[in-house]
Amino acid sequence: MTASSTKDQEGMTLGVLNAFRFRLNTLAIVLIPVCIAIDWAGHALASTLKLPLFLDSIGTVLGGLLAGPWVGGLAGLITNFISSGTVDPIAAPYSIISLAIGIAAGIGGYYGWHKTWPGRIALYILIVLVASIGSTPLNVNLYGGQSGVAFGDTVVYAPLVKAGWPTWLAAYLDELSGDLPDKLITVVVAVLIYFGLPNRYRALFSVWRRPSGEPEPAPAS
Amino acid sequence: MEVTRPALVFDRVGYAYQEAPREAVSDISLTIAEGEWVGVTGPTNAGKSTLCLLAMGLAPHFFGGRLKGGVTVLGKDSRQVSVIERSAEVGLLFQNPFTQVSGARERVDDEVAFGPECHGVARPEVEARVAEAMERVGIAHLAARHPMDLSGGQLQRLALAGLLAMRPAVLLLDEPTSQLDPAGAAAIFDVLAGLHQRGTTILMVEHRLERLCELCPRVVAMAAGRVIADGPPDEVFNREAVQERVGIPVFTRLARDGALPRPWPVRVGDAATAFAKSIA
Amino acid sequence: MAGGLSLYAEGTSLLHRAHPLTKGVLTLSAIALAFIAPSLWWVVGILVVLLALVTAAGVLRRFFAVALAILLPITLLLLAVQGFANPLNRTVVFALGPIVYYREGLAFAALAALRIACLVSATFLFSFTTRPADIAEALMQRGLSPRMGYVVQSALQIIPQTLEMAGRIQDAQRARGLETQGSLPRRARAYLPLMLPLVLSSLVATQERAMALEVRGFGLKVKRIARYEFFDSTLQRALRWALALAVPGAIVARVAGWR
Repeated sequence: MTASSTKDQEGMTLGVLNAFRFRLNTLAIVLIPVCIAIDWAGHALASTLKLPLFLDSIGTVLGGLLAGPWVGGLAGLITNFISSGTVDPIAAPYSIISLAIGIAAGIGGYYGWHKTWPGRIALYILIVLVASIGSTPLNVNLYGGQSGVAFGDTVVYAPLVKAGWPTWLAAYLDELSGDLPDKLITVVVAVLIYFGLPNRYRALFSVWRRPSGEPEPAPAS
Repeated sequence: MEVTRPALVFDRVGYAYQEAPREAVSDISLTIAEGEWVGVTGPTNAGKSTLCLLAMGLAPHFFGGRLKGGVTVLGKDSRQVSVIERSAEVGLLFQNPFTQVSGARERVDDEVAFGPECHGVARPEVEARVAEAMERVGIAHLAARHPMDLSGGQLQRLALAGLLAMRPAVLLLDEPTSQLDPAGAAAIFDVLAGLHQRGTTILMVEHRLERLCELCPRVVAMAAGRVIADGPPDEVFNREAVQERVGIPVFTRLARDGALPRPWPVRVGDAATAFAKSIA
Repeated sequence: MAGGLSLYAEGTSLLHRAHPLTKGVLTLSAIALAFIAPSLWWVVGILVVLLALVTAAGVLRRFFAVALAILLPITLLLLAVQGFANPLNRTVVFALGPIVYYREGLAFAALAALRIACLVSATFLFSFTTRPADIAEALMQRGLSPRMGYVVQSALQIIPQTLEMAGRIQDAQRARGLETQGSLPRRARAYLPLMLPLVLSSLVATQERAMALEVRGFGLKVKRIARYEFFDSTLQRALRWALALAVPGAIVARVAGWR
């Protein structure tokens, strides 16, 4: 299904903004806490299985794919707020990154990227870029350039900085070393779950993808 | 002389859900007066739930879909009134006790207060209504408990209290006791009987025919999206078309198979009398 | 049971009774000041003040247990990496075999670690003394949309419920032979069979829940009535303003040469 963007002199820009036009209805409001819980469960499960990944954005990405950038973004933001206040205060400044990831997933969902192979790769790349580019300035200013992940900090950051590379670049690669696998599994799982949902369920939220003014199908006689 | 307006009017109503090839209900015309207790029954896909959704406005506002004809509740056309606006005067109790809890409150009394709070009711008034609603359904002793600690029957009463706290003039119920045990079901019906006495208009979908006949002075039988009978239960369940397509209450079948004279009774009391007479 | 998530510890200290907004401003400005302050001793000062408040709130022991668990790993990581690799390194302090540690890097790491300690302390000071329900209520009184307030309140209940369900699904799947221990690939393969049923059952009732909410008037645009009042005072209001203004003030001072 291709999304139709409003024809306008500005062309592409307005097209993306269409993804945000959907006003949060009650269904979307109910979905957000569920996505937040999925974020938490995804992370808890990864810990229980002792997997070396965060996997704390599956709900955020799924929410974005299902119901758009508002749902994805708010899910990411609030997941981060709640975890900052309870188990992981260090994650607090990164709330804005979670917000951005949810928005990115929502935009990808609007254009249906998750439905094609090139699209899925594009979705993954977009999310990795958002996460890594967004987190690096925070890492540099708050945590001395480190990502806080032992592997990245000791194997990537330390040797590079020692060898004279610029801090911001070393920090970026450090962050990337964690984001590449983490966001890959996140996007894979979110997309798999998306397609594992019943069609009827996905259709509940597809209102936001349909361009407004589409006529209702004619009633059967 | 005061003319009472009808509480619900369905005027040649047809409705099809979005993307559905067929209408869920067709050509429904019903008038329900204020204070009536009407039971609605029928086989699966008869359109009974859709009737409730139409009266509440969830069809078409929540579900989209195509609405034909007019649904007028308390004098207002359902096309013009949103569901949340309706909620001040009309309540709808669903089947599943577990999914009607708001999930945002940690105490039963706060949960009951949720609806009035959404309506911006002043604090003292909210507290009065909550106390009254909890009393009516018999959960006042659970006021401080966490909603998730309640049993199915208690939760359904909690959901009902939540609706009653808004003092609706019309109460819609979609198989309110199908997921409850007999004790839980009886508790709900007791509350409804009380509401009926106090003049609340009740439209209740119920597939347990014996209950329906016992409680409702008027029954609407539906099949395949249409009304096939509408009247007192004695009349409705003595009609062959209804017996065939919708079902037959146990006592009625007993009377029929026991070759009792028509019209066959539909209630326990009447059946007992009829059998006693026939034995005598 | 709700509250499984919250760190809130019952108490009657001044901090417990203070308006959530006051505590929120305190937390945010303490964190901001810790990161703006130019040198170690200023940050230590802020940390001391925060710890004093934690003690005054009567939650010191609980606080230490949780805070240390979070701070220790990151502090060690910072010291290990910055002490070794920081570009400003000049003065050798000690060596672990071939890995040499320098004073500048360690000092840098210490400053970063102390700032993080302030972040954690300020956040926990808030969490230990404020009921989650109060946070939502205070925000809504100050203009947060009730629908957003609902999202937060609902999330706080749904998260522990979902985590519990995750545990049950794990048990059920293990009983069916799912391997959750052993090599990394084996553990990784267990992820989806555990996540998928969890997500499906979490999502199943959303439509019903949404209908049930609308039927109660959720989302009506009315002026929200406060459910209960918080204790506020001129002193608290003054404190909030002072703290809030201290942040841009500190920024200006930094620009003007504060070191």
